Amino acid sequence: MEREIVSNAFHHVNWGIPIAVYFWLVGSSAGSFVISSLGWVFGIKKFKPISFFASNLAIVQLLIVPALLVFDLGRVMRASHLFPLVTGFWHATASLAWGTALVATYPIGMAIYSYLIYKHNEKWARVFGFIAVIQAISTHWYTGITMALNPSRHPNHTALAALLFLIGAFISGIGLLIVILKIRDYFVKAADKLDPTMIVGLGRLMLLGLCVDIFLVFSEFIHMTYGTEEEFHVLELVSTVFRAPVLELYLGLGLALPLAILVSPYGKRNGGVLLASALIATGIFGMRLGWVLISQFSQTIF
Amino acid sequence: MSSRSYGLQEPPSLGVAGRKRYAMVVDLRRCTGCGACAMACKVEFDLPLGVWRIWLKEENRGEFPNVRKVVVPTLCNHCDYPICVRNCPTESTYKHADGFVLIRPNRCIGCRACIVACPYNARHLLPAARTDAQKPTSITDKCSFCIHRVSRGLAPACVASCTARAMIFGDLNDPESEVATLLLKENVSVLRPDMGTAPQVYYIGLDHGGVTDPIACYTDRSVALKDDFNAFKRNHNGLSFGDIVEGENETSALGFTRQVAGHLKDFIVDIFEKIGWVSRH
Repeated sequence: MEREIVSNAFHHVNWGIPIAVYFWLVGSSAGSFVISSLGWVFGIKKFKPISFFASNLAIVQLLIVPALLVFDLGRVMRASHLFPLVTGFWHATASLAWGTALVATYPIGMAIYSYLIYKHNEKWARVFGFIAVIQAISTHWYTGITMALNPSRHPNHTALAALLFLIGAFISGIGLLIVILKIRDYFVKAADKLDPTMIVGLGRLMLLGLCVDIFLVFSEFIHMTYGTEEEFHVLELVSTVFRAPVLELYLGLGLALPLAILVSPYGKRNGGVLLASALIATGIFGMRLGWVLISQFSQTIF
Repeated sequence: MSSRSYGLQEPPSLGVAGRKRYAMVVDLRRCTGCGACAMACKVEFDLPLGVWRIWLKEENRGEFPNVRKVVVPTLCNHCDYPICVRNCPTESTYKHADGFVLIRPNRCIGCRACIVACPYNARHLLPAARTDAQKPTSITDKCSFCIHRVSRGLAPACVASCTARAMIFGDLNDPESEVATLLLKENVSVLRPDMGTAPQVYYIGLDHGGVTDPIACYTDRSVALKDDFNAFKRNHNGLSFGDIVEGENETSALGFTRQVAGHLKDFIVDIFEKIGWVSRH
Protein backbone atom coordinates (compact mmCIF):
# COMPACT_ATOMS: atom_id res chain seq x y z
CA MET A 1 0.00 0.00 0.00
CA GLU A 2 2.70 2.43 1.08
CA ARG A 3 4.66 1.56 -2.04
CA GLU A 4 1.81 2.61 -4.29
CA ILE A 5 1.39 5.91 -2.46
CA VAL A 6 5.08 6.64 -2.84
CA SER A 7 5.48 5.72 -6.46
CA ASN A 8 2.16 6.57 -8.05
CA ALA A 9 2.42 10.34 -7.93
CA PHE A 10 -1.03 11.75 -7.32
CA HIS A 11 -1.86 15.10 -8.80
CA HIS A 12 -3.99 17.94 -7.62
CA VAL A 13 -6.90 19.60 -9.35
CA ASN A 14 -5.09 22.81 -10.08
CA TRP A 15 -7.86 25.10 -11.14
CA GLY A 16 -10.44 24.62 -8.44
CA ILE A 17 -13.44 26.20 -6.79
CA PRO A 18 -12.20 29.84 -7.00
CA ILE A 19 -11.85 29.49 -10.76
CA ALA A 20 -15.32 27.94 -11.05
CA VAL A 21 -16.73 30.86 -9.02
CA TYR A 22 -14.84 33.26 -11.26
CA PHE A 23 -16.30 31.70 -14.41
CA TRP A 24 -19.76 31.90 -12.90
CA LEU A 25 -19.35 35.55 -11.92
CA VAL A 26 -17.90 36.61 -15.26
CA GLY A 27 -20.71 34.77 -17.01
CA SER A 28 -23.42 36.35 -14.91
CA SER A 29 -21.81 39.73 -15.44
CA ALA A 30 -21.76 39.24 -19.21
CA GLY A 31 -25.38 38.06 -19.25
CA SER A 32 -26.47 40.99 -17.11
CA PHE A 33 -24.65 43.43 -19.36
CA VAL A 34 -26.16 42.00 -22.54
CA ILE A 35 -29.62 42.65 -21.04
CA SER A 36 -28.50 46.15 -20.11
CA SER A 37 -27.47 46.79 -23.70
CA LEU A 38 -30.83 45.70 -25.17
CA GLY A 39 -32.41 49.03 -24.26
CA TRP A 40 -29.70 51.55 -25.11
CA VAL A 41 -27.67 49.78 -27.78
CA PHE A 42 -30.19 47.63 -29.64
CA GLY A 43 -33.14 49.98 -29.20
CA ILE A 44 -35.60 47.64 -27.45
CA LYS A 45 -37.28 50.35 -25.41
CA LYS A 46 -39.08 48.15 -22.89
CA PHE A 47 -35.73 47.10 -21.39
CA LYS A 48 -34.49 50.67 -20.98
CA PRO A 49 -35.65 51.08 -17.35
CA ILE A 50 -33.37 48.26 -16.15
CA SER A 51 -30.32 49.14 -18.28
CA PHE A 52 -28.60 51.32 -15.69
CA PHE A 53 -29.15 48.86 -12.85
CA ALA A 54 -28.13 45.85 -14.96
CA SER A 55 -24.95 47.54 -16.12
CA ASN A 56 -23.98 48.51 -12.57
CA LEU A 57 -24.73 44.99 -11.36
CA ALA A 58 -22.45 43.64 -14.09
CA ILE A 59 -19.67 45.98 -12.90
CA VAL A 60 -20.07 44.90 -9.25
CA GLN A 61 -19.97 41.22 -10.26
CA LEU A 62 -16.81 41.79 -12.24
CA LEU A 63 -15.09 43.74 -9.47
CA ILE A 64 -15.00 40.56 -7.34
CA VAL A 65 -13.13 38.75 -10.10
CA PRO A 66 -9.61 40.22 -9.64
CA ALA A 67 -9.57 39.12 -6.00
CA LEU A 68 -10.37 35.55 -7.04
CA LEU A 69 -7.85 35.51 -9.83
CA VAL A 70 -4.97 37.30 -8.20
CA PHE A 71 -5.15 35.40 -4.91
CA ASP A 72 -5.42 32.13 -6.77
CA LEU A 73 -1.99 32.76 -8.25
CA GLY A 74 0.93 31.05 -6.58
CA ARG A 75 2.88 34.33 -6.60
CA VAL A 76 0.41 37.12 -5.97
CA MET A 77 2.92 39.96 -6.31
CA ARG A 78 3.87 38.75 -9.77
CA ALA A 79 0.37 39.38 -11.15
CA SER A 80 1.93 42.40 -12.85
CA HIS A 81 3.81 39.96 -15.13
CA LEU A 82 0.52 39.56 -16.99
CA PHE A 83 0.53 43.17 -18.14
CA PRO A 84 2.74 43.86 -21.16
CA LEU A 85 2.94 47.55 -20.33
CA VAL A 86 4.72 46.65 -17.08
CA THR A 87 6.90 43.81 -18.28
CA GLY A 88 7.39 44.42 -21.98
CA PHE A 89 6.53 40.86 -22.99
CA TRP A 90 3.29 39.49 -24.34
CA HIS A 91 2.61 35.89 -25.17
CA ALA A 92 -0.05 36.06 -27.85
CA THR A 93 -0.67 32.30 -28.06
CA ALA A 94 -1.75 32.11 -24.42
CA SER A 95 -5.44 32.64 -23.87
CA LEU A 96 -4.72 33.88 -20.34
CA ALA A 97 -2.73 36.79 -21.78
CA TRP A 98 -5.78 37.87 -23.78
CA GLY A 99 -8.03 37.18 -20.83
CA THR A 100 -6.03 39.53 -18.64
CA ALA A 101 -6.47 42.31 -21.17
CA LEU A 102 -10.20 41.65 -21.35
CA VAL A 103 -10.79 41.35 -17.61
CA ALA A 104 -8.82 44.56 -17.06
CA THR A 105 -10.61 46.64 -19.70
CA TYR A 106 -14.15 45.27 -19.63
CA PRO A 107 -15.16 47.00 -16.34
CA ILE A 108 -13.85 50.28 -17.74
CA GLY A 109 -15.98 49.86 -20.87
CA MET A 110 -19.03 49.11 -18.74
CA ALA A 111 -18.35 52.06 -16.42
CA ILE A 112 -18.19 54.47 -19.39
CA TYR A 113 -21.46 53.03 -20.70
CA SER A 114 -23.12 53.35 -17.28
CA TYR A 115 -21.96 56.95 -16.98
CA LEU A 116 -23.37 57.77 -20.43
CA ILE A 117 -26.74 56.21 -19.52
CA TYR A 118 -26.72 58.25 -16.32
CA LYS A 119 -26.13 61.38 -18.42
CA HIS A 120 -28.81 60.27 -20.95
CA ASN A 121 -26.32 60.56 -23.78
CA GLU A 122 -28.03 58.23 -26.25
CA LYS A 123 -25.60 58.56 -29.12
CA TRP A 124 -22.40 57.82 -27.22
CA ALA A 125 -24.10 55.29 -24.96
CA ARG A 126 -24.91 53.30 -28.09
CA VAL A 127 -21.30 53.47 -29.32
CA PHE A 128 -19.64 52.62 -26.01
CA GLY A 129 -22.39 50.13 -25.19
CA PHE A 130 -21.67 48.28 -28.41
CA ILE A 131 -17.96 48.16 -27.60
CA ALA A 132 -18.75 46.93 -24.08
CA VAL A 133 -21.07 44.21 -25.44
CA ILE A 134 -18.20 42.92 -27.56
CA GLN A 135 -15.97 43.04 -24.48
CA ALA A 136 -18.63 41.22 -22.42
CA ILE A 137 -19.00 38.42 -24.95
CA SER A 138 -15.23 38.15 -25.47
CA THR A 139 -14.51 38.08 -21.74
CA HIS A 140 -16.75 35.14 -21.21
CA TRP A 141 -15.91 33.45 -24.48
CA TYR A 142 -12.25 33.48 -23.47
CA THR A 143 -13.01 31.57 -20.24
CA GLY A 144 -14.49 28.78 -22.34
CA ILE A 145 -11.57 28.94 -24.75
CA THR A 146 -9.07 28.81 -21.88
CA MET A 147 -10.56 25.49 -20.85
CA ALA A 148 -10.98 24.27 -24.43
CA LEU A 149 -7.37 24.82 -25.48
CA ASN A 150 -6.12 21.93 -23.37
CA PRO A 151 -6.38 18.90 -25.64
CA SER A 152 -6.21 16.34 -22.87
CA ARG A 153 -8.98 17.90 -20.80
CA HIS A 154 -12.43 16.57 -21.46
CA PRO A 155 -15.28 17.58 -21.64
CA ASN A 156 -13.80 21.00 -22.42
CA HIS A 157 -11.72 20.20 -25.48
CA THR A 158 -14.54 20.67 -27.98
CA ALA A 159 -15.52 23.55 -30.21
CA LEU A 160 -18.81 23.71 -28.34
CA ALA A 161 -17.25 24.40 -24.95
CA ALA A 162 -16.91 28.15 -25.40
CA LEU A 163 -20.44 28.39 -26.80
CA LEU A 164 -21.79 26.38 -23.90
CA PHE A 165 -20.02 28.73 -21.51
CA LEU A 166 -21.48 31.75 -23.35
CA ILE A 167 -25.08 30.54 -23.42
CA GLY A 168 -24.81 29.49 -19.78
CA ALA A 169 -23.57 33.01 -19.05
CA PHE A 170 -26.52 34.54 -20.87
CA ILE A 171 -29.16 32.59 -18.97
CA SER A 172 -27.49 32.73 -15.56
CA GLY A 173 -26.95 36.48 -16.04
CA ILE A 174 -30.64 37.02 -16.73
CA GLY A 175 -31.59 34.70 -13.87
CA LEU A 176 -29.42 36.47 -11.34
CA LEU A 177 -30.55 39.87 -12.64
CA ILE A 178 -34.23 38.96 -12.17
CA VAL A 179 -33.61 37.72 -8.63
CA ILE A 180 -31.67 40.86 -7.67
CA LEU A 181 -34.21 43.16 -9.36
CA LYS A 182 -36.92 41.49 -7.32
CA ILE A 183 -34.92 42.01 -4.13
CA ARG A 184 -34.39 45.64 -5.13
CA ASP A 185 -38.15 46.10 -5.37
CA TYR A 186 -38.38 45.77 -1.58
CA PHE A 187 -36.15 48.81 -1.09
CA VAL A 188 -37.38 51.29 -3.73
CA LYS A 189 -40.40 53.56 -3.98
CA ALA A 190 -43.57 52.26 -5.63
CA ALA A 191 -42.94 54.39 -8.70
CA ASP A 192 -39.52 52.79 -9.24
CA LYS A 193 -40.69 49.22 -8.83
CA LEU A 194 -40.22 46.85 -11.73
CA ASP A 195 -42.98 46.49 -14.29
CA PRO A 196 -44.28 42.88 -13.90
CA THR A 197 -44.43 42.43 -17.68
CA MET A 198 -40.69 43.10 -17.79
CA ILE A 199 -40.01 39.99 -15.69
CA VAL A 200 -42.12 37.87 -18.02
CA GLY A 201 -40.29 39.40 -21.01
CA LEU A 202 -36.93 38.50 -19.44
CA GLY A 203 -38.33 35.04 -18.73
CA ARG A 204 -39.06 34.57 -22.46
CA LEU A 205 -35.49 35.56 -23.30
CA MET A 206 -34.24 33.13 -20.68
CA LEU A 207 -36.37 30.35 -22.17
CA LEU A 208 -34.80 30.95 -25.56
CA GLY A 209 -31.30 30.72 -24.07
CA LEU A 210 -32.31 27.67 -22.05
CA CYS A 211 -33.39 25.80 -25.20
CA VAL A 212 -30.07 26.58 -26.88
CA ASP A 213 -28.17 25.49 -23.76
CA ILE A 214 -30.07 22.19 -23.59
CA PHE A 215 -29.37 21.60 -27.27
CA LEU A 216 -25.66 22.27 -26.79
CA VAL A 217 -25.31 20.12 -23.71
CA PHE A 218 -27.25 17.34 -25.43
CA SER A 219 -24.83 17.55 -28.36
CA GLU A 220 -21.89 17.38 -25.93
CA PHE A 221 -23.22 14.27 -24.24
CA ILE A 222 -24.02 12.58 -27.56
CA HIS A 223 -20.45 13.33 -28.59
CA MET A 224 -19.13 11.87 -25.35
CA THR A 225 -21.09 8.63 -25.56
CA TYR A 226 -19.45 7.93 -28.92
CA GLY A 227 -16.13 9.27 -27.72
CA THR A 228 -12.73 8.22 -26.56
CA GLU A 229 -11.85 6.37 -23.37
CA GLU A 230 -11.32 9.71 -21.66
CA GLU A 231 -14.76 10.90 -22.63
CA PHE A 232 -16.27 7.69 -21.28
CA HIS A 233 -14.39 8.41 -18.10
CA VAL A 234 -15.97 11.86 -17.98
CA LEU A 235 -19.38 10.23 -18.27
CA GLU A 236 -18.43 7.88 -15.44
CA LEU A 237 -17.41 10.86 -13.30
CA VAL A 238 -20.64 12.69 -14.11
CA SER A 239 -22.62 9.78 -12.75
CA THR A 240 -20.43 9.22 -9.68
CA VAL A 241 -18.16 11.87 -8.14
CA PHE A 242 -19.81 14.82 -9.88
CA ARG A 243 -23.37 13.59 -9.75
CA ALA A 244 -24.43 16.37 -7.37
CA PRO A 245 -23.24 19.43 -9.32
CA VAL A 246 -23.75 18.14 -12.87
CA LEU A 247 -26.60 15.62 -12.92
CA GLU A 248 -28.64 16.96 -10.03
CA LEU A 249 -27.88 20.67 -9.89
CA TYR A 250 -27.12 21.58 -13.52
CA LEU A 251 -29.10 19.16 -15.64
CA GLY A 252 -31.96 18.56 -13.20
CA LEU A 253 -32.54 21.71 -11.21
CA GLY A 254 -30.79 24.13 -13.55
CA LEU A 255 -32.12 23.06 -16.96
CA ALA A 256 -34.97 20.52 -16.86
CA LEU A 257 -37.04 22.02 -14.05
CA PRO A 258 -36.80 25.66 -15.27
CA LEU A 259 -37.72 24.47 -18.77
CA ALA A 260 -40.80 22.76 -17.38
CA ILE A 261 -41.72 25.91 -15.45
CA LEU A 262 -41.13 28.33 -18.31
CA VAL A 263 -43.09 26.37 -20.93
CA SER A 264 -45.97 25.85 -18.51
CA PRO A 265 -48.56 28.57 -17.66
CA TYR A 266 -46.36 29.40 -14.63
CA GLY A 267 -43.81 30.75 -17.10
CA LYS A 268 -46.09 33.70 -17.73
CA ARG A 269 -46.40 34.56 -14.05
CA ASN A 270 -43.87 36.51 -12.04
CA GLY A 271 -43.56 33.82 -9.37
CA GLY A 272 -42.82 31.11 -11.91
CA VAL A 273 -40.19 33.18 -13.74
CA LEU A 274 -38.58 34.14 -10.45
CA LEU A 275 -38.32 30.51 -9.35
CA ALA A 276 -36.92 29.48 -12.74
CA SER A 277 -34.40 32.34 -12.57
CA ALA A 278 -33.10 31.31 -9.17
CA LEU A 279 -32.84 27.68 -10.31
CA ILE A 280 -30.98 28.59 -13.51
CA ALA A 281 -28.54 30.90 -11.73
CA THR A 282 -27.60 28.18 -9.22
CA GLY A 283 -27.76 25.41 -11.84
CA ILE A 284 -25.21 27.15 -14.03
CA PHE A 285 -22.89 27.30 -11.01
CA GLY A 286 -23.10 23.49 -10.96
CA MET A 287 -22.12 23.46 -14.63
CA ARG A 288 -19.09 25.67 -13.91
CA LEU A 289 -18.03 23.40 -11.07
CA GLY A 290 -18.43 20.31 -13.20
CA TRP A 291 -16.77 21.61 -16.34
CA VAL A 292 -13.78 23.08 -14.48
CA LEU A 293 -13.16 20.23 -12.06
CA ILE A 294 -14.05 17.13 -14.11
CA SER A 295 -11.61 18.04 -16.85
CA GLN A 296 -8.76 17.95 -14.36
CA PHE A 297 -10.11 15.26 -12.09
CA SER A 298 -10.00 12.65 -14.83
CA GLN A 299 -6.26 13.14 -15.12
CA THR A 300 -5.25 13.54 -11.50
CA ILE A 301 -4.95 9.91 -10.52
CA PHE A 302 -2.28 8.92 -12.99
CA MET B 1 5.03 15.14 -38.64
CA SER B 2 5.05 18.33 -40.63
CA SER B 3 6.73 21.30 -38.99
CA ARG B 4 4.48 23.56 -37.01
CA SER B 5 5.50 26.59 -35.06
CA TYR B 6 3.40 28.09 -32.32
CA GLY B 7 3.99 31.52 -30.91
CA LEU B 8 7.42 32.40 -29.69
CA GLN B 9 8.84 28.96 -29.07
CA GLU B 10 11.88 27.57 -30.83
CA PRO B 11 11.05 25.21 -33.72
CA PRO B 12 12.11 21.58 -33.28
CA SER B 13 15.86 21.13 -33.55
CA LEU B 14 15.66 17.60 -34.93
CA GLY B 15 17.91 17.45 -37.98
CA VAL B 16 19.00 21.08 -37.69
CA ALA B 17 22.73 21.39 -38.37
CA GLY B 18 24.75 22.69 -35.45
CA ARG B 19 22.00 22.04 -32.94
CA LYS B 20 21.35 19.15 -30.57
CA ARG B 21 18.07 17.34 -30.06
CA TYR B 22 18.16 15.70 -26.68
CA ALA B 23 15.86 12.76 -26.12
CA MET B 24 15.47 9.83 -23.76
CA VAL B 25 14.75 6.19 -24.40
CA VAL B 26 13.34 4.09 -21.54
CA ASP B 27 13.67 0.36 -22.06
CA LEU B 28 10.82 -1.12 -20.04
CA ARG B 29 12.11 -4.62 -20.65
CA ARG B 30 15.06 -3.73 -18.47
CA CYS B 31 13.31 -1.55 -15.88
CA THR B 32 12.98 -3.30 -12.52
CA GLY B 33 10.94 -0.56 -10.87
CA CYS B 34 13.60 0.01 -8.21
CA GLY B 35 12.74 3.73 -8.00
CA ALA B 36 16.39 4.86 -8.03
CA CYS B 37 15.58 7.39 -10.79
CA ALA B 38 12.83 9.03 -8.74
CA MET B 39 15.02 9.13 -5.62
CA ALA B 40 18.07 10.50 -7.47
CA CYS B 41 15.88 13.24 -8.92
CA LYS B 42 14.41 14.06 -5.51
CA VAL B 43 17.93 14.42 -4.10
CA GLU B 44 19.32 16.32 -7.09
CA PHE B 45 16.66 19.00 -6.85
CA ASP B 46 15.76 18.77 -3.16
CA LEU B 47 12.14 18.27 -4.13
CA PRO B 48 9.61 18.64 -1.32
CA LEU B 49 7.27 15.84 -0.27
CA GLY B 50 4.34 15.19 -2.57
CA VAL B 51 5.86 16.50 -5.79
CA TRP B 52 7.89 14.58 -8.35
CA ARG B 53 9.82 15.42 -11.48
CA ILE B 54 9.98 11.75 -12.39
CA TRP B 55 7.80 9.07 -10.88
CA LEU B 56 6.87 5.47 -11.46
CA LYS B 57 3.46 4.52 -12.61
CA GLU B 58 2.97 0.97 -11.50
CA GLU B 59 0.27 -1.53 -11.57
CA ASN B 60 -0.26 -5.08 -10.36
CA ARG B 61 -1.73 -7.20 -13.11
CA GLY B 62 -3.50 -10.53 -12.84
CA GLU B 63 -4.21 -12.86 -9.93
CA PHE B 64 -1.94 -15.29 -8.12
CA PRO B 65 -0.15 -17.27 -9.48
CA ASN B 66 -0.30 -15.35 -12.76
CA VAL B 67 0.74 -11.94 -11.55
CA ARG B 68 2.96 -9.27 -12.95
CA LYS B 69 3.99 -5.82 -11.86
CA VAL B 70 4.33 -3.35 -14.68
CA VAL B 71 6.23 -0.13 -14.14
CA VAL B 72 6.65 2.96 -16.30
CA PRO B 73 8.98 5.78 -15.26
CA THR B 74 7.16 8.97 -16.23
CA LEU B 75 8.60 12.44 -16.63
CA CYS B 76 8.32 15.57 -18.76
CA ASN B 77 8.38 14.53 -22.41
CA HIS B 78 10.11 17.71 -23.60
CA CYS B 79 7.70 17.74 -26.51
CA ASP B 80 8.55 19.23 -29.88
CA TYR B 81 5.18 21.02 -29.84
CA PRO B 82 4.55 21.60 -26.15
CA ILE B 83 1.06 22.77 -25.20
CA CYS B 84 2.38 24.12 -21.90
CA VAL B 85 4.63 26.60 -23.72
CA ARG B 86 1.77 27.74 -25.92
CA ASN B 87 -0.50 28.34 -22.94
CA CYS B 88 1.95 30.09 -20.59
CA PRO B 89 0.80 33.73 -20.38
CA THR B 90 4.12 35.14 -19.16
CA GLU B 91 6.55 33.20 -21.39
CA SER B 92 7.90 31.67 -18.23
CA THR B 93 8.07 28.26 -19.82
CA TYR B 94 9.85 28.06 -23.14
CA LYS B 95 11.45 25.73 -25.62
CA HIS B 96 15.24 25.72 -25.64
CA ALA B 97 16.98 25.54 -29.02
CA ASP B 98 18.41 22.12 -28.09
CA GLY B 99 15.03 20.60 -27.32
CA PHE B 100 14.63 21.14 -23.57
CA VAL B 101 11.35 22.56 -22.33
CA LEU B 102 12.40 24.81 -19.46
CA ILE B 103 11.00 27.26 -16.92
CA ARG B 104 12.20 30.75 -16.06
CA PRO B 105 11.47 30.69 -12.31
CA ASN B 106 11.62 34.48 -11.99
CA ARG B 107 8.80 34.96 -14.49
CA CYS B 108 6.41 32.25 -13.33
CA ILE B 109 3.35 33.61 -11.54
CA GLY B 110 1.97 30.23 -10.48
CA CYS B 111 -1.19 30.47 -12.58
CA ARG B 112 -0.96 26.71 -13.36
CA ALA B 113 -2.09 27.12 -16.97
CA CYS B 114 0.84 24.91 -17.99
CA ILE B 115 -0.09 22.22 -15.46
CA VAL B 116 -3.62 22.11 -16.82
CA ALA B 117 -2.29 22.06 -20.38
CA CYS B 118 0.15 19.18 -19.91
CA PRO B 119 -1.35 15.86 -21.06
CA TYR B 120 1.30 13.95 -19.12
CA ASN B 121 0.79 15.51 -15.70
CA ALA B 122 4.50 16.23 -15.74
CA ARG B 123 4.23 19.55 -13.92
CA HIS B 124 3.53 20.46 -10.34
CA LEU B 125 3.32 23.57 -8.20
CA LEU B 126 6.03 23.91 -5.59
CA PRO B 127 4.64 24.40 -2.07
CA ALA B 128 4.51 27.83 -0.45
CA ALA B 129 6.73 26.83 2.47
CA ARG B 130 10.03 25.03 2.04
CA THR B 131 12.66 24.06 4.55
CA ASP B 132 15.34 25.82 2.56
CA ALA B 133 14.20 29.42 2.23
CA GLN B 134 16.49 29.91 -0.78
CA LYS B 135 14.55 27.43 -2.88
CA PRO B 136 11.74 28.67 -5.13
CA THR B 137 8.18 28.46 -3.82
CA SER B 138 4.67 28.60 -5.33
CA ILE B 139 5.84 28.36 -8.92
CA THR B 140 5.56 25.59 -11.45
CA ASP B 141 8.29 23.01 -11.58
CA LYS B 142 9.06 19.99 -13.74
CA CYS B 143 11.83 17.85 -15.17
CA SER B 144 14.48 19.91 -16.95
CA PHE B 145 16.30 16.90 -18.46
CA CYS B 146 18.99 18.00 -15.97
CA ILE B 147 20.24 20.75 -18.28
CA HIS B 148 22.75 21.81 -15.61
CA ARG B 149 24.38 18.37 -15.81
CA VAL B 150 23.92 17.80 -19.55
CA SER B 151 25.58 21.10 -20.42
CA ARG B 152 28.62 19.87 -18.46
CA GLY B 153 28.70 16.58 -20.34
CA LEU B 154 27.03 14.53 -17.60
CA ALA B 155 23.96 12.33 -17.91
CA PRO B 156 20.75 13.41 -16.16
CA ALA B 157 20.55 12.27 -12.53
CA CYS B 158 17.88 9.65 -13.24
CA VAL B 159 19.88 8.16 -16.11
CA ALA B 160 23.09 8.11 -14.10
CA SER B 161 21.38 6.34 -11.22
CA CYS B 162 19.42 3.77 -13.23
CA THR B 163 20.48 0.41 -11.80
CA ALA B 164 19.32 -1.63 -14.79
CA ARG B 165 20.57 0.82 -17.44
CA ALA B 166 17.00 1.08 -18.67
CA MET B 167 17.22 4.83 -19.28
CA ILE B 168 19.34 6.08 -22.13
CA PHE B 169 19.82 9.76 -22.85
CA GLY B 170 21.49 11.44 -25.78
CA ASP B 171 21.42 13.60 -28.87
CA LEU B 172 19.17 12.42 -31.69
CA ASN B 173 21.02 14.67 -34.14
CA ASP B 174 24.14 12.55 -33.60
CA PRO B 175 23.56 9.39 -35.65
CA GLU B 176 26.25 7.60 -33.63
CA SER B 177 24.53 8.21 -30.32
CA GLU B 178 22.89 5.31 -28.49
CA VAL B 179 19.44 6.93 -28.49
CA ALA B 180 19.53 7.49 -32.25
CA THR B 181 20.60 3.88 -32.81
CA LEU B 182 17.90 2.54 -30.50
CA LEU B 183 15.23 4.56 -32.24
CA LEU B 184 16.28 3.02 -35.54
CA LYS B 185 16.65 -0.55 -34.26
CA GLU B 186 13.82 -0.97 -31.78
CA ASN B 187 10.06 -0.60 -31.77
CA VAL B 188 9.50 2.49 -29.72
CA SER B 189 6.30 4.12 -28.48
CA VAL B 190 5.53 7.42 -26.88
CA LEU B 191 2.88 8.36 -24.34
CA ARG B 192 -0.26 9.95 -25.73
CA PRO B 193 0.77 10.34 -29.37
CA ASP B 194 -2.81 11.49 -30.03
CA MET B 195 -2.04 14.82 -28.37
CA GLY B 196 0.07 15.96 -31.30
CA THR B 197 2.89 17.08 -29.03
CA ALA B 198 5.69 14.94 -30.51
CA PRO B 199 7.08 13.76 -27.13
CA GLN B 200 10.81 13.11 -26.88
CA VAL B 201 10.76 10.41 -24.24
CA TYR B 202 10.51 7.12 -26.06
CA TYR B 203 9.63 3.78 -24.52
CA ILE B 204 10.66 0.32 -25.59
CA GLY B 205 8.22 -2.37 -24.50
CA LEU B 206 5.35 -0.08 -23.69
CA ASP B 207 3.16 -2.26 -25.85
CA HIS B 208 4.17 -5.34 -23.83
CA GLY B 209 1.89 -4.62 -20.91
CA GLY B 210 3.18 -1.25 -19.89
CA VAL B 211 0.91 1.13 -18.05
CA THR B 212 -0.13 2.80 -21.23
CA ASP B 213 -2.26 5.89 -21.38
CA PRO B 214 -5.07 6.29 -21.07
CA ILE B 215 -7.02 2.99 -20.98
CA ALA B 216 -5.22 1.21 -18.18
CA CYS B 217 -5.22 4.34 -16.07
CA TYR B 218 -8.94 4.74 -16.33
CA THR B 219 -10.27 1.24 -16.38
CA ASP B 220 -7.78 -0.63 -14.22
CA ARG B 221 -7.80 1.70 -11.23
CA SER B 222 -7.85 -0.64 -8.28
CA VAL B 223 -9.99 -0.01 -5.21
CA ALA B 224 -6.80 0.20 -3.16
CA LEU B 225 -5.42 2.90 -5.45
CA LYS B 226 -8.64 4.88 -5.20
CA ASP B 227 -8.49 4.60 -1.41
CA ASP B 228 -4.90 5.82 -1.42
CA PHE B 229 -5.89 8.67 -3.66
CA ASN B 230 -8.72 9.71 -1.36
CA ALA B 231 -6.50 9.44 1.70
CA PHE B 232 -3.90 11.58 -0.04
CA LYS B 233 -6.51 14.21 -0.85
CA ARG B 234 -7.90 14.24 2.70
CA ASN B 235 -4.41 14.76 4.09
CA HIS B 236 -3.64 17.63 1.74
CA ASN B 237 -6.53 19.85 2.63
CA GLY B 238 -5.71 23.46 1.90
CA LEU B 239 -2.94 22.90 -0.62
CA SER B 240 -5.20 22.94 -3.61
CA PHE B 241 -8.76 24.08 -4.06
CA GLY B 242 -10.37 21.66 -6.43
CA ASP B 243 -9.69 18.28 -4.87
CA ILE B 244 -12.93 16.44 -4.33
CA VAL B 245 -12.79 13.30 -2.24
CA GLU B 246 -14.60 10.39 -3.82
CA GLY B 247 -17.13 8.28 -1.97
CA GLU B 248 -20.87 8.11 -1.58
CA ASN B 249 -21.03 10.24 1.56
CA GLU B 250 -18.55 12.82 0.39
CA THR B 251 -20.05 13.29 -3.06
CA SER B 252 -23.73 13.31 -2.16
CA ALA B 253 -25.38 16.70 -2.66
CA LEU B 254 -24.73 17.64 0.97
CA GLY B 255 -21.23 16.18 1.01
CA PHE B 256 -20.30 17.94 -2.20
CA THR B 257 -21.62 21.25 -0.87
CA ARG B 258 -19.60 20.72 2.30
CA GLN B 259 -16.46 20.09 0.26
CA VAL B 260 -17.01 23.17 -1.91
CA ALA B 261 -17.61 25.32 1.18
CA GLY B 262 -14.47 23.85 2.77
CA HIS B 263 -12.39 24.68 -0.30
CA LEU B 264 -13.72 28.23 -0.33
CA LYS B 265 -12.89 28.60 3.36
CA ASP B 266 -9.36 27.36 2.66
CA PHE B 267 -9.07 29.82 -0.20
CA ILE B 268 -10.11 32.73 2.04
CA VAL B 269 -7.61 31.66 4.72
CA ASP B 270 -5.04 31.41 1.95
CA ILE B 271 -5.74 35.02 0.96
CA PHE B 272 -4.93 36.16 4.49
CA GLU B 273 -1.83 34.00 4.45
CA LYS B 274 -0.66 35.51 1.18
CA ILE B 275 -1.19 38.99 2.62
CA GLY B 276 0.86 37.85 5.60
CA TRP B 277 -1.79 38.13 8.31
CA VAL B 278 -1.92 34.44 9.24
CA SER B 279 0.41 31.50 8.87
CA ARG B 280 -0.61 27.87 8.60
CA HIS B 281 2.91 26.56 8.28
